[in-house]
Amino acid sequence: MTATTATDLTECACPEGTALAAGRLGATRRGVLGAAALAGMSTMFGSTVVTMTSAPAAAAPATGRPVVVVISLRGAADGLSLVVPHGDPAYYAARPGIAVPRESLLARDGFFGLHPALAPLLPLWSSGRLAAVHATGLPVANRSHFSAMEELEDADPGSAARVGWLNRMVGADTGTGALQAVAVGSSLPTALLGPETVMSFRTLDAAVVAGDDKWDTHGTRLKSLRTLWGAGGRELGGGMRTALGAVVDLDAAKAQADRAASYPSSDLGKGLASVARTLRADLGVTAVTIDTQSWDMHVGMGTATSGWMVRNTTELANAVAAFFADLGPVGDRVTLVTVSEFGRRVQENANQGLDHGWGNVMLVAGAGVKGGRYYGTWPGLQNTLDADLAVTTDYRSVLAEVVAARTSASTAAVFPGFQRERVGVMVGQ
Amino acid sequence: MSNPLGAARPKPQRKRKRPPRKHRGRTRPKKRPKKRRHKSKIKPKPKPKPRPPKAPKPPTSYAPGRYAATPVLPTAARHLVNRFSYGITPGLTREVTAAGGHLAWFDQQLERRPRTDPYDAWWPDLTLDAKTMYQRQVDKVRGTWEVAHDIGRRSMMRRITSPDQVLEVMTEFWENHLHVPTNADNIAVYRAAYGEVIRAGALGRFADLLSAAVLHPAMLWYLGNTSSTKRHPNENLGRELLELHTVGLGNHTEEDVKNSARILTGWRARTYGTWEPYYSASDHWTGEVRVKEFSDPNTAADGRDLTTRYLTYLARHPDTARRIATKLVRQFVSDVAPAALVDRLAAVYLDHDTAIKPVLRALVRAPEFAAAVDGRLRDADEDVAATYRVLGAVPSRPASGSSAANQVNWQVSALGLAPYNWPRPDGQPVANAAWSSPTRALASLSLHWNMAGGYWPKAELTRKLPPSYLPARSLPFRDLVDHLSRLFLQRPSTEALLRACCAATECTPTKVVTATSDLFTWRWVRLCAVFLDSPDFYYH
Repeated sequence: MTATTATDLTECACPEGTALAAGRLGATRRGVLGAAALAGMSTMFGSTVVTMTSAPAAAAPATGRPVVVVISLRGAADGLSLVVPHGDPAYYAARPGIAVPRESLLARDGFFGLHPALAPLLPLWSSGRLAAVHATGLPVANRSHFSAMEELEDADPGSAARVGWLNRMVGADTGTGALQAVAVGSSLPTALLGPETVMSFRTLDAAVVAGDDKWDTHGTRLKSLRTLWGAGGRELGGGMRTALGAVVDLDAAKAQADRAASYPSSDLGKGLASVARTLRADLGVTAVTIDTQSWDMHVGMGTATSGWMVRNTTELANAVAAFFADLGPVGDRVTLVTVSEFGRRVQENANQGLDHGWGNVMLVAGAGVKGGRYYGTWPGLQNTLDADLAVTTDYRSVLAEVVAARTSASTAAVFPGFQRERVGVMVGQ
Repeated sequence: MSNPLGAARPKPQRKRKRPPRKHRGRTRPKKRPKKRRHKSKIKPKPKPKPRPPKAPKPPTSYAPGRYAATPVLPTAARHLVNRFSYGITPGLTREVTAAGGHLAWFDQQLERRPRTDPYDAWWPDLTLDAKTMYQRQVDKVRGTWEVAHDIGRRSMMRRITSPDQVLEVMTEFWENHLHVPTNADNIAVYRAAYGEVIRAGALGRFADLLSAAVLHPAMLWYLGNTSSTKRHPNENLGRELLELHTVGLGNHTEEDVKNSARILTGWRARTYGTWEPYYSASDHWTGEVRVKEFSDPNTAADGRDLTTRYLTYLARHPDTARRIATKLVRQFVSDVAPAALVDRLAAVYLDHDTAIKPVLRALVRAPEFAAAVDGRLRDADEDVAATYRVLGAVPSRPASGSSAANQVNWQVSALGLAPYNWPRPDGQPVANAAWSSPTRALASLSLHWNMAGGYWPKAELTRKLPPSYLPARSLPFRDLVDHLSRLFLQRPSTEALLRACCAATECTPTKVVTATSDLFTWRWVRLCAVFLDSPDFYYH
C-alpha cells in the first residue's frame, strides 16, 4: 500500500528552482563575507572586525541557499504512536493500554492518522508542506541505541572513517564557507562529523567570546587567543578556530529579531529559535542538526491523551510549527526531516511501555515536500511478543530524495554504495 | 526537557570596568606592507631619494623568562598526577614529592580510605531515605529535581577539594560506566545513595561493584526492572547489562538479551509507595535460561541466587575484562586504545579476580601510559574542577543559590553537560572529539574569564587576590609569566605562551613588574585567562 491519502495535491508551490539557482549565484556573496571576515581576522581583531563584517551582511543580497534541517528524536521514538496505522487491526489488538483511538486521529485517511498531539502541525499538513513516510529505518534491525545512531548517521557502512552523511552533503555541495553547517547543542552529532567545518551553539546568544567586548578596545583578547590557537591544538584546535571565526559572522544572525517567545521554552524550542534567526540572516548555512532527547519509553509512556508520549509529541509539534511560522518566506528554502535510531515493538509491554523495535516513521516538512499525505509500503503488523514494524523503506531513500531535490550534492557521494528506491515524497523525485 | 532552574539561573556578570582611555604604545613594530607578487607589468616608480638611515627598532625577543624558584613536578610525575587528579595544586605537588615520587604517591592513594567531608551536611537532603525525600516533594518543601543537583554538587566539591583524588577520579569513572542520570523522573530518591555505593566500591572488585550497582533500586528503576514481570520481562536492564556494563556490543545475541531480562525478573521496588526495594518471587520468570555459556534450569521461584551467579559469571567473563580494560585505557591513556595494553590489563583483571587496584597499578606503569603525556582533553566537569583547583578558589558552605558551591553545577552545565545529566545509559562520551565542539570552546572561554576575573561566582568563595601572585618585589614580565606557567600549568613557560601573554596585556617581555602594576588590577583577568585558555590547560 502506498500513498493512501484521498487528497491528491497539486505540486508544491515552493519556488525551489528559483531558490536553487539563487543559491549558486549567492555563493559569491558568502564568499565576499567570508573574505572580509578572514581578512579582518588576519590583521586586526575585536570590535573593528565586527563592525566591518556585519555591515555588508545586512545590506547584501540573499544567498537563497537551500537548507536541510535534521531533528533527531533520540532514544527511539514510537512511530506507531506518532503516525497511527488505524487500518491495521493488529495495532489495536497489540496495544490495549496505549493505542491512540481512531476517532481522535488527525488528518486521517483510510489507513493512517496523526497523533492528536501533532495538532499544531495540521496547518503545514493541510497546506501540503508536511508529509510522513512510514516503515522506514535501517536495512537490518539494530536494537542498540548507541550503535544504531552511529550507523544511521554515518550512513556509509563500507567505510571505517567516521564521516557523517550531512558532512558529506555539505562537502559535495557547491557552497563554501565556515558557516555551512550548524549543530545545535553541546557536541557534534555523528551526522556532521567529518572534514567540513561545523559551527555549533546551544543558543545564538551564547555564541560570544568572553572578554572580547567593548572595553577591549585594542582587541587584546582575540589577539592572544589567536596566538594560542592559531594552529594545532589537536581536536579542540578545530573547534576553537571555527568558533573564533564564526562568532563574527553570526553577528548578522544576532541582529535578527528573536522570536523565542513563540516557541516552547525547551531546549528544542530555544535551539530552533536560534536556528531561525541564523537562517533569516542568510549566512550560507546548508545543514542544521538539532536533537530532542528522552524518547526511550520502556515504562510509563502514558495514554493517548496524557503522559510522556503526549508531552514529547506536543513539544515537538509546537516547536516545528513555531519554527516555520518564524521563518516566514525563508521557510520556502528550508526542508526539515525527523530521524530516530529505530522504532519500537508493536506490542506494549507490561509497563505501559514499549521495548526496542525496528521500523519507524519519518516526518518531512517544508521546501520541496509533496505534503499532506502518507508515503511508504505497509508491511502489516503482527500482534506477537517480538514483532517489529518491519522496514520497507531504507531511511536513506528518504534522505537521498531530500538531498537530490534540494541540493547540488550527488546522492552517490552522500550515501556511498547505496542504491536508493523511489519514495516520491519530494518534488521532482 | 526544559530545566526548571534554567530561568532562575543567575547570569555571570562582567565587571564594568573601563580600561584607561589613553592608547597604549604598540609593543610590536608595525607590519610592513605586503610585498607585491607580480612586479613585471607595473611601471617602476621613480626611485625616492635615499633617506638618512633610521636606527631600526630591535625586534622584540620572546625568549621565555625563567623563575626557577617555583617548583614543578618532573614530566612523568606531572603526567600521572594530572591524569589521576582534577588539577595539580601546590599542595598536591608537595604531597607527591613527600611520597617519594609519583608512583609511590599513586600506590598510597589507592590505599586511602575516603575521609569524612562536610558535604552531606551542606546538602542534608542527600541522606534522606527515599520515602521522606519524595514526601518533601509532594509537600512542596523541596523537589527531588533539586536534590538531583545536590548530588552533582557534592561530587564536584569532592573533586575540587578532596585529598583522595584517585578515589574521586575512579568514582567518576565507575559512575559513568554504571551510569544512572540524576535527572530522570524522581530518580534522585535512590540516586544520592547509589553514588555512595559506587564510591565505596570504586577501588574494590568489579564483581562486587557490578552486583551492588545493577541490583540497586536506582538502576533497577532507571532501566525498567522494578516493574518487569514474568509474563513480559522488560528488556531494558537485561540488555544494557550485557551491552554496556559487561561483555559489550557484538558479544551477545538478542536471545541472550531476553534471557538476561528473564533472570533479572523479581528485583523490584515499591515506587510511589513505600519506596522499599524487594524481591518478588511471584514475578520471577522460571524455566531454563542461557546467556552465552551461562545456563541454568532456573526452576526455583526465588531467582536471587541465580542472579548472583549470573552477575559473577558476567563480571569474570574475558569479554568483560576486555571491555573494562578498554574503557580504562580510553579514559586514562588515549582515545585509540593500544591493543597490547588492553590485553595485558584484561589479563591482570582476570588474574586478580576482577580487582581494580592491580589493573590500575599496571596501567600507570605501562610504557603506553608514559607515552601519552598531555593527550587527554578535560571534559566539562574536569575543566571546571581544574579551574577551581589551579586558581586556589575554594567554595565554603553555601548560603544561597548563588553561592559558589551551588553554582558549580551550572558552570559544568554551561560547558555542555551537568554532572550525571547524560540522558542515556551509556554514560557521557569520553573521546576528546566529543568535547571539542565550538560550543564547548566558547563556553570554556567564558568559564575561564569569569573565574580569572573573579566575576562569577563570588558568594561563599575564597579566592587568591591578584597581587598575591607576584613572587618578588619586582621582576621582568617574562619571569612573571614563567612563574605563573609553573603555578597554573606545572611547566616552564614557552615562547608561544609569552607572546600570548604580551598580546593580552600589551606588555613587553622585559617590562618590569611591581605590586603597583595594572597587571594586578584591571589587566589581571586578561593575563590569567591566557593560562586557563592555553592548550596546556585544556589537555592533561
